[in-house]
Amino acid sequence: MNKKKLLTFLFIASIICFQAQTFDTKNDWLGILKVGIRTQKTQKLYWENGFTVDFTFPKVLNNRLHFGLSYVTTRLGSAIGTNAIKQDNYLLNVGYFFRNQKKLQPFTRLNTGYFYADYESEIFDKLPNAAVLLSLDAGLSYKFKAPITIDLSAGFNLNTGSGSQGPGTLYPIFYQLSVYYIVLKKK
Amino acid sequence: MTHKNILFKSLIILSLFFSACSDSPNIDNLTMLDGNQIFDPSIYNPEKYLVSQAIPIPNATQKNTPVIIAVHGYSATTFEWDEFRTYSDANADILISQVLLGGHGRTYEQFKNATWRDWQDPIMAEYNALREKGYNNISFAGSSTACPLVLDMLQKGKIPNNGMAQIFLIDPIVIPSDKLLTLIGLVGPMLGYFEATNTTAENSYWYRFRPQETLNELMDLIDQVRKELQKGYKLPSGVQMKIYKSIKDDTADAVSAVLIFKGLKNSDGSDIDVEMINSALHVVTRLEGRDTIKQEDRDIQKIVFDDMLTRIRNN
Repeated sequence: MNKKKLLTFLFIASIICFQAQTFDTKNDWLGILKVGIRTQKTQKLYWENGFTVDFTFPKVLNNRLHFGLSYVTTRLGSAIGTNAIKQDNYLLNVGYFFRNQKKLQPFTRLNTGYFYADYESEIFDKLPNAAVLLSLDAGLSYKFKAPITIDLSAGFNLNTGSGSQGPGTLYPIFYQLSVYYIVLKKK
Repeated sequence: MTHKNILFKSLIILSLFFSACSDSPNIDNLTMLDGNQIFDPSIYNPEKYLVSQAIPIPNATQKNTPVIIAVHGYSATTFEWDEFRTYSDANADILISQVLLGGHGRTYEQFKNATWRDWQDPIMAEYNALREKGYNNISFAGSSTACPLVLDMLQKGKIPNNGMAQIFLIDPIVIPSDKLLTLIGLVGPMLGYFEATNTTAENSYWYRFRPQETLNELMDLIDQVRKELQKGYKLPSGVQMKIYKSIKDDTADAVSAVLIFKGLKNSDGSDIDVEMINSALHVVTRLEGRDTIKQEDRDIQKIVFDDMLTRIRNN
């Protein structure tokens, strides 16, 4: 559990360090760096909320390919003040965004990462509670005049629980909304 | 091909598609519970299955005898608890009411038109009938979907303090193993019904065809019970609960036990009893009708039955 807390802390710390940089630096390898909050709802199950980072490179498909890191958890969602299972999702996102430079961009994304559910009692030690995450999502991204971008998508987890293997609360369909603030942008 | 030809062929395909959607399943009346020949025997002989019907006026001894209301799961019948009845008749002095859920044990159409509240009604009916007759040691044993039905009754306060002795939940379903059930609202209406993989023997005791309406009802029920557990509630005082959950289960995900353990406490705030069973069977307390029955499954069944009867005796 301490390892997870450390990972989370490092993740958040790196976001804060990014935010400390000035807007519009004269770098030529980083395109756009955005940090944001992400809210996610699983079809017929929990709200999982957290943080997300998105960055592009001009040399990688001219900023069309977006890389991201996300962390969403029921600890910031359905599990607040309830008996919902405390579970964490750590994600690496790689997405292709169409209609480059336009305000409204459809995108499609492949995500991978790690899922962990805490059952909190040794009675359930035999139950699977962790899994590799592998999902696809697709949706729309809208960039406002202010340095705010909103991404909305629907996704499908390819690796879900089945009763005989995998964590029981890893469900197939999810919907997510991310609201980003553009921290760095290449001129 | 001419345009007219293409249009005509498209219309044929579309009409076939839509007629397939609204098709009724191919029910064999002679072999399937879904048909109009085979019905749950409790419908013909309620006095053989329900204590409230078997004993019109119980005497003092009978009123003090433990009664277990045994309730089956989704698409099943009273058959699911026959083995427990046989075992307890031979090994204990208790009475058993095998309740048939509403809409179950009858026909496909009756199943299709029943809501989960209809399923639940006969449980409360038998409980109230027993209470009225003066039985003072009533317990409950539920398998699979019977469990969320009774959890809902508890959450709504339908069981008073000291109104029940023991509650046994066998493989309760709060989280389904088949996660595609979460899409039933979307794909259900397109497909109409789903076919279960029953053995030949099971065809007489489980519906073979599951109307999408009933799967929607199941999803609504477990979703509601999950949310109630999330908020949390307590058992009435004087009521004890034990969950027996197979660690691998292709119908009721084992994590269902975690949700009930977290969400439901004894009246004094202490934890309810949970036993995770080393089994891959859904409802290991029912073995007859399965294609393969291993000795280890029979051993587990006996251990669970003995545990249940011991708890009843020690109440």
